[in-house]
Amino acid sequence: MTDTAAPTSGLTRIVNVVHWLEDTALALLLGAIVLLAPLQIFLRLAFDAGLTWADPMIRVLVLWVGMFGAISASRGDRHIAIDVLPRMLKGRARAAMAALVHVFTVVVCALLAWHSARFVASEREFAGEAFLGIPSWILETVLPFAFAVIAFRYALGTFPLLAVVLGWRSPEPEETPR
Amino acid sequence: MTATALLILAALAGAPLFAVIAASAMLGFSQDEVDLSVVAIEIYRLAEMPVLLAIPLFTFAGYLLGESQAPGRLVRLTHALLGWLSGGLAIVSLAACALFTAFTGASGVTIVALGALLYPALKEAHYPERFSLGLITTSGSLGLLFAPALPLILYGVVAQQMNLDPPVRIDDLFAAGLLPGLLMVVLLSLYSIWRARGEVQTTGTFSFAEAARALRESAWEIPLPLVVLGGIYSGFFALSEAAAVTALYVLIVEVGIRREIPLRKLPSVMRESMVLVGAILIILGVSLASTNYLIDAEVPTQLFDLIRERIQSKLTFLILLNIFLLVLGMMLDIFSALVIVVPIILPIAIGYGIHPVHLGIIFLANMQIGYITPPVGMNLFISSYRFNRSVLDVYRATVPFFLILLFAVLVITYWPALSLFLVQS
Repeated sequence: MTDTAAPTSGLTRIVNVVHWLEDTALALLLGAIVLLAPLQIFLRLAFDAGLTWADPMIRVLVLWVGMFGAISASRGDRHIAIDVLPRMLKGRARAAMAALVHVFTVVVCALLAWHSARFVASEREFAGEAFLGIPSWILETVLPFAFAVIAFRYALGTFPLLAVVLGWRSPEPEETPR
Repeated sequence: MTATALLILAALAGAPLFAVIAASAMLGFSQDEVDLSVVAIEIYRLAEMPVLLAIPLFTFAGYLLGESQAPGRLVRLTHALLGWLSGGLAIVSLAACALFTAFTGASGVTIVALGALLYPALKEAHYPERFSLGLITTSGSLGLLFAPALPLILYGVVAQQMNLDPPVRIDDLFAAGLLPGLLMVVLLSLYSIWRARGEVQTTGTFSFAEAARALRESAWEIPLPLVVLGGIYSGFFALSEAAAVTALYVLIVEVGIRREIPLRKLPSVMRESMVLVGAILIILGVSLASTNYLIDAEVPTQLFDLIRERIQSKLTFLILLNIFLLVLGMMLDIFSALVIVVPIILPIAIGYGIHPVHLGIIFLANMQIGYITPPVGMNLFISSYRFNRSVLDVYRATVPFFLILLFAVLVITYWPALSLFLVQS
């Protein structure tokens, strides 16, 4: 599935930069995991030792890579979903249902973002340390951030669907299964 | 009740499942007047489970292998070793797909990566068209009972959240999946040999020269299953360590040594694989919250009492379980089904005296058929799209394979020893 390009070139450029940032962040996070995890094994086998900060760091990286992956999956609506009903509908009816589903997703993700932000704020008061002097709350910020971005993405995705519902735009051609 | 109905409707209408699960958890907690930041606390537990490291690493390695020429080498190697048999190419397809799926985790990658090689080859060897289509479609989910398939790992992760005594160990699941997985491969192979008798050409004789060539060609990939499986079963590597070694090794071989994936393509392979990982982990994260709520609200216990009143025998329960899982497999993909349903049915199944490891194998075997069960099995659509055939054609082509696998699932369900024979604890 290709990402929908925005109408103006300035906007397209911003979107491209955001996508590039996203892809780079994902690659860096995954790259760090792919290098750090074997390093720990090597240290264990060679010196019967290991970096004390590496294991908790790898675990946090897995969460981060997962949340950034989830952000990336919301680009082009690629989250795991059941599509029994959409398959039965066509054209404007299908777009209307998709729009409702988008609104539902926006509301849920916004709530998740809000409550995870409250979680981060309360953690900040206790100021626990995770590793290497990094306070835990900083590592937890990925939750409100990711849910906010996902909510924003689905909010943006609602407009083209509404345009179809209102008849301003012709429906997208049938989706091909991925 | 109304809220639950609305949530189910949202799910059927195509809402992302993580949002539906998160909504159900938030609704439940807010009814009990629990502060909703508990949902975030539960999701953050993803950063406290060391075993999850295996998920991004194995997925990344699988995507790299799929992008490289490794599938072609795998087909050539299995062909050199098994191609001389009657029905050999069909067995090649089954063996290659099973091995590939075990490493890539049944996400449809197998049909796309291997099907494109095997389908034309089967046609050329004069296998009946419909048979080939059915075979490839079925093979796409074969092998998810073999280590280190992602669904096995995920079942272990979910079961470990249930605080069972003794806990479900992932290496036990790996051992338990071996014989049931082989049963499926063997049954399908026998059917292939029977269908191929007379009409299909084979190379006829085993060629040592070709086998040696194919072995040399695959020299870099052959250590992989040995290191991973040997490392895990011998206890030399923890699961996440085996995943770390696999990912780094595959990266070095396919990108550095063979150079089949250009460096500039690497970020997009990384992104594609992490989209799948993100989709799985976010569902797992929110389901930690919903599971926590379900257990707090004692839903599994109440459900068990309710079912116990009506169903006394373990046998009846197993029959109903099979039917339930078949229907579930038609509706939900394997990852969502695992995190949503296992926390509910595991305590119930244990109440009926079913071993948690055995339940895992029953669950995954059923889900495997779900991939090819009309009308909504995912592999049916991937296959229809990939080979440009109508979905109805694909339905018809997969029926005999479906019945064989259904038989295998029944054997797996009602013969626990098949799964538990190799399990130590």
